[in-house]
Amino acid sequence: MSRVRHPLRRLAPVAWHSTLVVVVIAMVFPVVWALLTSFKPANDIYSIAPFSAEPTLDNYARVLADWPVVTLLGNTFVMAAGVAVGQIVIAVLGAYALVHFSPRSRGPILVLVTISLAIPPQALIIPQFLMTARLGWLNTDAGLIVPQLGTCALAVLLLVQHVEALPRSLTSAARLDGATPFEVLWHIVLPGLRPAIAAVAILVFITTWNEYLWPLLVSPRAEDTTVQIGLTQFQTAEGNDYGGLLAAATLTSIPIIVVYLFASRRITDAFLQSGIK
Amino acid sequence: MTLTTVPPRAVREDAPRRVRASVRPWLYLSPVLVAIGVWIYAPALFTVALSVLDWNLTTPPTGFVGADNFARLFRSADFWQALAQTALYALALLPFSTVIPLGLAIMLWQRPGRASTVYRSLLFLPVMMAPVAVAVSWKFMLNPLVGLANEVVGWFGVPPVNWLGDPSTALVVIVAVTAAKVTAFNMLLFSAALSGLDRRTIEAARLEGATSWEITRFIVAPQLAGTTALLGTLSLVLAGQWVFTNVTVLTQGGPDGVTDNIYYRIYTLGFEFFETGTASAAAVVVLLVFAVAGIAWRLVRRSHVPR
Amino acid sequence: MNRSTRPLVATAAAVSILALSACAASAPDTSATGASTTITFSSYSYGTQGAAGDGMQVLLDAFAEAHPDITVVPEAVPVADALTKTKAAVAAGSPPDVQQLGYSKMAEAFATLPVQSIEEIAGDEWDAHVDGIAPGLVSTGEADGTVKALPFTVSIPTLFYNADIFREAGLDPEEPPATIDEVEDAADAIVAAGHNGVYFGLLDQGKSDYLTQSVIDSAGGMTVDDDGEVVLDSAKAVAGIQRIQDLTTGGLQPAVGIDDAVAAFSTGDLGMFVATTALMSNLQTGAADTFELRTGGFPSFDAKPARPTHSGAGLVVLAADEAKQDAAWEFVKFMTSEQGYTMITEEMGYLPLRANLATDDEFLAGYFAENTLLLPPLGQLGDVTPYRSFAGAKSNQATVMLQDDAISPIILRGADARQTMSEVADRIRELVGSE
Repeated sequence: MSRVRHPLRRLAPVAWHSTLVVVVIAMVFPVVWALLTSFKPANDIYSIAPFSAEPTLDNYARVLADWPVVTLLGNTFVMAAGVAVGQIVIAVLGAYALVHFSPRSRGPILVLVTISLAIPPQALIIPQFLMTARLGWLNTDAGLIVPQLGTCALAVLLLVQHVEALPRSLTSAARLDGATPFEVLWHIVLPGLRPAIAAVAILVFITTWNEYLWPLLVSPRAEDTTVQIGLTQFQTAEGNDYGGLLAAATLTSIPIIVVYLFASRRITDAFLQSGIK
Repeated sequence: MTLTTVPPRAVREDAPRRVRASVRPWLYLSPVLVAIGVWIYAPALFTVALSVLDWNLTTPPTGFVGADNFARLFRSADFWQALAQTALYALALLPFSTVIPLGLAIMLWQRPGRASTVYRSLLFLPVMMAPVAVAVSWKFMLNPLVGLANEVVGWFGVPPVNWLGDPSTALVVIVAVTAAKVTAFNMLLFSAALSGLDRRTIEAARLEGATSWEITRFIVAPQLAGTTALLGTLSLVLAGQWVFTNVTVLTQGGPDGVTDNIYYRIYTLGFEFFETGTASAAAVVVLLVFAVAGIAWRLVRRSHVPR
Repeated sequence: MNRSTRPLVATAAAVSILALSACAASAPDTSATGASTTITFSSYSYGTQGAAGDGMQVLLDAFAEAHPDITVVPEAVPVADALTKTKAAVAAGSPPDVQQLGYSKMAEAFATLPVQSIEEIAGDEWDAHVDGIAPGLVSTGEADGTVKALPFTVSIPTLFYNADIFREAGLDPEEPPATIDEVEDAADAIVAAGHNGVYFGLLDQGKSDYLTQSVIDSAGGMTVDDDGEVVLDSAKAVAGIQRIQDLTTGGLQPAVGIDDAVAAFSTGDLGMFVATTALMSNLQTGAADTFELRTGGFPSFDAKPARPTHSGAGLVVLAADEAKQDAAWEFVKFMTSEQGYTMITEEMGYLPLRANLATDDEFLAGYFAENTLLLPPLGQLGDVTPYRSFAGAKSNQATVMLQDDAISPIILRGADARQTMSEVADRIRELVGSE
């Protein structure tokens, strides 16, 4: 039953590293290729050699000069951060209530939340657009952010999972001490949720960052538009400027990398506290 | 296990306190309910209405057409193909959203440290670049005439493959291309779940001489069952949406519709052709399928698992 | 209230204040004061990276200078989503006043959107203005007996070829193939020399059928006849498509998508590439210092004259307000004037749509003296066949059906040409006939 003398006692360091290296290469390769291609001049852009005979920064120069990088990054950041924060707040409040207040309607509410995931967003987008237009929210941050809060189902379900996993002993002790529900949430539950919130925040931030259809409809003006729409400017009726596209994509990855590194600290810190040494 | 929401002070004291207590859950739940109510369910009702009307939103509606849109939808072979392929996508991506990211997350969790952090960040890299750019990069590599992929398989004596243009390979390629993103996202979620584990049990087991493998299998894995189940379910529901960008950029549903799925079909019908009646009908069908599946699932669970 | 609910209330208050202020934030741009009118212009060229985007800005600046009383607010839109965006805008009640609209989407726009008649808005100025514009292009924009679209950024298919590969294959770069038979022979030689022979870009990324029509028209058939009947399964039309399929089955044409073909051509692996002149500048960049790029005219079929049709976009007016309509007309008039077309050619690389421009020193004579690559297609511009659309609100959908369900399987995967064309023709008849 219990394998005391397992021949492979611990995944040997070599096996551990090699597996991870192989997986990393497989997953990272297209990104690396994109990066390498961004340094190729336009007449060499399709070549299969990783490095061009005449590598160039022209693509980057062109992007920085002609493409409204800062405006696009700013708009997209506000949208993504707004939605991420909004969904976290909604999900934390909702998950806490569903688990700790256990209302009788918990089951139906969870069903409603789950089903909201299954409704094809591509079908909803035009009605959502019409509603947003009627509210006068076209070309505004509110119009970009608020309707996207409707996809909070994922965040809610994930956080319900994590709130349930928290040990009840702490929370019941606090309640017996006379803490109000909000205090329990703030002082006891939230700290335990930090890695989960960080993960969900990253997820929602990136998913929103990559959103294309919604900003296309809601923010057509050049000064309001987002990175994904901006990237389409390299794919024109007169042919595609792939060098520029890949350079622009590389540049606009940087904020995401920063957000990821910042938020993932929460996860790795928690790891270091809880993992096997 | 229910918690009382009324503090153990003078219970008889104020009706207001009790009212506040019964209102409180709704206060906390109102953001969720408002958000999904206003922005998902209200538009969904509109969609249901559109599915029985003949109205393309730009010209005045011509009236109630009953099940006409549905009939037209069911008559088109494209629809059934898209539906079937949606299921294929769901199954194909399932390992990439459960087993594989779980394994990776556990591996990284076993050896916390600098290397692990580096690996984790690298594995997440595919998600951090714009999906359009990653898809374009794949397009370059998969070019049947001058792309890297055929060059490499050529070294092994394999003749050039028309990766995205051959109906027999296109779907697999789309799944492979999307797999990285799915794995990365789910690995992040598993990592978050792992970091919430109670380490005291683990240390106790360690002190008793359990191997890493045993700890993983008997203590860690069961605690992750909930997350795994959730992510698996999400994968089945959302797989068709996860491949959306890649289908749009790389194959546009082709060749011969083999990479199509119901979400892309709805997009094409509703967004590109503005055939809102048919698109809405398709959306209603999807919703019904999931609703029925969900209800069936709950019934099955209820009959097998004691409350 | 006690300590714990205070933060909640504060948050709720903050959120509502934010929401209300956002509501009040942007009032729509109203206009038509006595002094200045503002119109919105939706353009897929605007804001793009490349010659077209820069050129559009030059055009807009020139217009602003010439008409300080009219403010044009341009809206960029990705070319694939142009029609959809406008439909959504119409549904929301705020369409753009002027739009750059692709020809393959025009019939559908006419049937579903509030497109105004430019001819009527122009009134007395119409005849004088339109005189000199290639008549085939003007008639393409006609609907319900009046002209609703004027040609704007127009291109026609041409034969791009790699002169270096020609020499390598023993062909004379000075004499590009002019008939489909000559194209086939040249492709044979090129394949023998170890490269891909030819690629006819029928499978346009935008799912437009302009090149399909060019082939079918040149073969003596039509997609849609003068009465609006779908006739793309006629013997001649099928024969034309069959000819292109034979190139693939004969190993002379790679069975790939058009983006892959562009890549192969730019790396010097494809000898001949038949596609729109709009790609000229992109292909020139790709060929720079790699190989010598040349152009020839669209090939003819079976001793009949070549009958390419055009692709590109026209300008349509959607404004309902009379003041805006007048402003829109001024804008359209400027863009389609001699000055406008000259700038479009010089800055954006599209074809000049008034016959006199190419030879007039004041306009483009100097330009064409230097940019000889555009001369062969320019020579065919005068005879360009009007682009034909399927009738009605489903016309774009029908075009996509033709391209995806007929042309793609036939050309790329060897589907039976006659049977497939016939089946798809029936489906299209059912689709567009259902109005």
